Amino acid sequence: MNAGMLFTHWIAPARNRRSANTLALALPLAMAMAAIGWRVAGPIAAIAITTVSLAVALAVARRQAARFDRHWLVRTLDANRPELEDSSALLFTDDAPLSPLQSLQRGRIAARLDQGAPQDLISGWSTRTLLGLSLLAAIVITAALLWPRAGEGPPTLTPSSEGLPARPGIPRLVAQNLRIIPPAYTGLLVRDSASLDARVPQGSRLEWTLRFDPQASAPRLLMLAGEPMALHPDGANWIASRSTDAAFLYRVDPASGRGATPPLHRIDAIADAPPQVKALSDSLTMVKSGQRNWSPAFAATDDYGVAASARLRVTLAIGEGENVTFSEREIPVSGSGPVRDRRFAPRLDFSTFGFVAGGDMVVQLIVRDNRSPSPQEVRGPSLILRWPSPKAPESSGLTGMVNTTLPAYFRSQRQIIIDIEKLLKDKRSLTPDRYLSRSASIGGDQQILRVRYSQFLGGENEGAPELPTADGEAHSDGDGHDHGPPVARQNVFGEKEDVLAEFGHPHDESPASSLDPETRAILKQAVDEMWQSERELKTGHPDAALPYAYKALRFIKEVQQATRIFLSRVGPELPPIDASRRMTGKREGLGSRVLPVAPIEGDDGPAAAAWRALGDGPGAIRGPIALGALEGWTRANATRLPDALALNGAIDTVRSDPACLPCRAKLRALLWTAMERTARPARRRPADAAGARYLDAIGGAP
Amino acid sequence: MTIAIAVALILGLATLLGWLRLGLWHRAAHATGQASPGRTAALALLQPVCAGLLYLALFSPLAVGGSSSLRIATAGTARLTGAQSGAPLILLPEAPNIGGGEAVPDLATALRRHPGVTMIKVLGDGLTPRDLDAARKLAIAFEAPPLRPGIMDIARPASVAPGGRFVVGATLNGWSGATVDLLDPAGRVTDSGTADKDGHVQLAGTARAAGAVLFSLRARSGRQVVAQADVPVWIAESARPRLLILAGAPGPEVKYLRRWAIDAGYDVTTQMRAGGGIALGDAPVSLDAGSLRRFDVAIVDERSWPAARGSLLAAVRGGMGLVLRAGGAMDGATRSQWQALGFSLSGPGGIAPLALPKAPDPAIARTRHGIGSVDAPVDMALPEELVPDISRIGLAPGGDNGVPLLQDAGGTSLAAWRAVGAGRVALFTAIDSYGLTLTGRGDLYGDWWSRLLGTVARPAPGSVMVTDTVWAGERMTLCGLTGEGRVEGPDGGVARMLPVAGCGAFWPAKPGWRSVRTQGEVRPFYVQPQDALPVMRAARDQRAMAMLRREAPTGSGTMTPAAPRADWPWWLAWLATSALLWWLERSRVGRPAPPPPTQSAM
Repeated sequence: MNAGMLFTHWIAPARNRRSANTLALALPLAMAMAAIGWRVAGPIAAIAITTVSLAVALAVARRQAARFDRHWLVRTLDANRPELEDSSALLFTDDAPLSPLQSLQRGRIAARLDQGAPQDLISGWSTRTLLGLSLLAAIVITAALLWPRAGEGPPTLTPSSEGLPARPGIPRLVAQNLRIIPPAYTGLLVRDSASLDARVPQGSRLEWTLRFDPQASAPRLLMLAGEPMALHPDGANWIASRSTDAAFLYRVDPASGRGATPPLHRIDAIADAPPQVKALSDSLTMVKSGQRNWSPAFAATDDYGVAASARLRVTLAIGEGENVTFSEREIPVSGSGPVRDRRFAPRLDFSTFGFVAGGDMVVQLIVRDNRSPSPQEVRGPSLILRWPSPKAPESSGLTGMVNTTLPAYFRSQRQIIIDIEKLLKDKRSLTPDRYLSRSASIGGDQQILRVRYSQFLGGENEGAPELPTADGEAHSDGDGHDHGPPVARQNVFGEKEDVLAEFGHPHDESPASSLDPETRAILKQAVDEMWQSERELKTGHPDAALPYAYKALRFIKEVQQATRIFLSRVGPELPPIDASRRMTGKREGLGSRVLPVAPIEGDDGPAAAAWRALGDGPGAIRGPIALGALEGWTRANATRLPDALALNGAIDTVRSDPACLPCRAKLRALLWTAMERTARPARRRPADAAGARYLDAIGGAP
Repeated sequence: MTIAIAVALILGLATLLGWLRLGLWHRAAHATGQASPGRTAALALLQPVCAGLLYLALFSPLAVGGSSSLRIATAGTARLTGAQSGAPLILLPEAPNIGGGEAVPDLATALRRHPGVTMIKVLGDGLTPRDLDAARKLAIAFEAPPLRPGIMDIARPASVAPGGRFVVGATLNGWSGATVDLLDPAGRVTDSGTADKDGHVQLAGTARAAGAVLFSLRARSGRQVVAQADVPVWIAESARPRLLILAGAPGPEVKYLRRWAIDAGYDVTTQMRAGGGIALGDAPVSLDAGSLRRFDVAIVDERSWPAARGSLLAAVRGGMGLVLRAGGAMDGATRSQWQALGFSLSGPGGIAPLALPKAPDPAIARTRHGIGSVDAPVDMALPEELVPDISRIGLAPGGDNGVPLLQDAGGTSLAAWRAVGAGRVALFTAIDSYGLTLTGRGDLYGDWWSRLLGTVARPAPGSVMVTDTVWAGERMTLCGLTGEGRVEGPDGGVARMLPVAGCGAFWPAKPGWRSVRTQGEVRPFYVQPQDALPVMRAARDQRAMAMLRREAPTGSGTMTPAAPRADWPWWLAWLATSALLWWLERSRVGRPAPPPPTQSAM
């Protein structure tokens, strides 16, 4: 065994013991600190504190152990083992060569060294310190665990400051506490408010704990608008509780109206905001070659939390022109990220949806927040994935334009069938009224389509627009004036006589007159089926209309196979021009019409009257003011006012103390925010008598 | 002949008469043997002495011999002044307690105590209005100290229409670059601006219902408020103006103008020609003097202007207002017609783009808008950022006689007006301004047209407020009173006011709104608190001081006649001499004893 190994052998037990001792001392301290951290800042802080403190303890232990070095060992052995003759240093020195004398001595004591064991050198456990620290840690941990949380246990009352004079025999609020218990879904902690005014999440439960001196008999909470709420005795205190659906004003009435009127307190209810959905991808994406799936990304934020599962509405539009088929489905998607800011990036495989070239895929995210009951549902923006048709030439940059220049003014027969089917599917979830109106609206579409097709067959126009001008006055026989002889148009020589136009009206003036009779027959059948379908739809029987609609579609398909038909798509229908009078300069029979313009109504209302009365200028009323009209107006217009509650409170304060000048000023300032700006700036500049005289004198005026 | 000379003559005559009487007495005494030449000589000597003393008592020579100049300490006098030697120091009530001077309640008192003063040296900030009248006849040496930084002036309208927009101008002293906010009566910032290098800033606010209201002006550097002042605004209903709109053709501009004007409270008559003798709009109005007298203001486009020119101009000379607007690019003839009205039109012509001002911040726009109506919620009615495409003709109206009225964001003049006879004519160069109402800038549209029409419309008697800034505890003058007035105070107290030559003086003790009523007319005014706007007050006093006389007085007419002189030593001497004279006359000193009287039968 050389010197190094010997040293290690002798020093190791002492070092290990010292390290163990240090760690044992550090452990209760670390635990106590972790408990405090857990209590103050949660489990993550506890873990962090434990890690850091153990690392520090380890470092300290290493340093402590390092103090047991060769010098210490030699000193200790020499002090404790007289038989080593103060020569133990010779044993642990590597610094050869030794003199012969030293070698001799080393040999002597090397034999004696093993009479003792290395364990003799270890120091004992610092038991008393350890005990003390453990006790301290136990106390700290217990205190940390048992320390009362805000909102747990009986509330601590704080002295109230109602600012009312103390009068003997009349109870007075002396201490108060308002506990706010937010709805569980918000994840907010219960808190105690020392003030009786608070802003609380909507749906929170409020618990008042009040103390009166002298003891009150039947104290109440008076709501400014609503039923008073009785307080219940609880030991020396009085308690009451209610939930907050809307903001309200109240006052604590300890003495049933005796004594001075206590000040108003205000509880504001902060409504849960609906979630916000933001699209992270572009609103229009084109499919790249080789692409097999698409991952649109959305971010949803909310004030309390977004539900982890959302729905994605995927609408597929496949086909071109008239042959576009739509399919719509909703798939569940799950989000990732923190509860208040979730990300949704579902992966949509084209094969699962049957998405092929020449189609559009429109996705829309529908998210809910975690409000309970009745979560708020919000639809996000729609994102479009477009797969251009391989046949069509690439029209990059024109996609949007092409789309907007060809609006569909009426729906195709196929679309009507889709609508009917959808309506039948939704029937269970619709009210009968709604069902009927949707059916009738599809019937309207069917009617438009039928009229279009029947025009090809020379069908009569229905509901021709009438002239809105005086020219178009409806004349009939016996309406009180003479219509003159029938208009006889003179035949110009050489012009073809339009006999039909003169004596009848054609039924085949349409482009369809060029159709062959066979096609016309099929088309007529299609129109007949459409008529049936329309009738059933308008009477509220879409199920009965469906077979007719299918038949009509089949007939149309046959016609399409037979020949091509171009339907004219028309825009808004303008009144026809009376061509007979155009450019003639004739003005007989023109009606004189005056379209009166009614000015917008806006009155100053009770707000302005009260505002003038409260001021100190002309028109002010110094004494008590009748505020009933203003209060009624405030209640009726609460939605228009920026802060109707504050106005109500100020009205109440002024009413109870008409002489209080600051209260009047406050109400007046609030009324300024509640007045309509009836923009009636028409005015004539004020006359300037001196200026006019001067102008007269210098001859400026006539 | 002055009183002094007359008195001297009378006294001389009296002395002569006294001597005459003494001579007669002496002769009579000689007869009785009681004559004493020494006594008579003493009496004769004392007569002129007594007369001379009386004259000196009446016209004290000490007054002429007193100090002829004073030092007057006013507010802001340096503390060391009391220790300096020089003319007597007078402490006015405003002066700080510097010691070593004579405290007086006002300057007039000091002048009475120091007759013969012809010159005063004013120390500190200057005399207050109380002392200005007293100082008017003196030569004044005054070096105005530089004004402290603060609000030096506030310009505000005399009255605002209900719901109207108004502009408040302010001048800051020494704080160029400071931010100035206009706070509405609810304490919200309704406009904010930065003072230019001269300290000027203009801020806009909107009125609501008729009544008296206090806005507030706040100057701040960074977040720290350095000055604040009340801005009283009087919102008053006015007579309903009657508006005539003439257009050469129907168009959207007329349509929206008519709509706006009816909503804004005008009685509108519209006439549009559609060609071929067809007129659209309201019942036809013949453009003659009689029917035009029924209108207060007319808006005429350049197409209908040539035909109606003569009668319209005659009506304008009679007081009607006229707004000429352009419907499109102008030809040379119209241009020369407009120029013939006295305007200069500078620019290349044609059509030029119009730089619109930015829409205000939503928070500020909200304070200006008021609550929304049922039809138009406030969110919908607020101005939008979308900039409509509005243009103007490429000619900017102006000229020496034209008053600029509207400017676009680039500073180009859009409208100007000038007086023609008793009426006013304005030119408006924006084209298709109706685009503003369609793109969410109805506020700007209303502002433009109401300023145009409000400026030129025929004047009407209306309620205006007194725009002078007055402070509590200071005498103020109200003019233009037609009879005995009653001043109603903020607490309901009423004071009678008896005007002299249409003006009356009033001494408000407390700040607040007041109104003076005379024969059915009400004119409100606002009294600022005593410590409000100190810099504005100092500036006003300095201006008044500057108008006082500066050079040395000439002639002797400077004596204030009622000034009592320091004449008591003369009176005392005169009294003593007179007493001596009287005693000498009555006593028997130096007189030989009379013969014993003969016993008479008792």
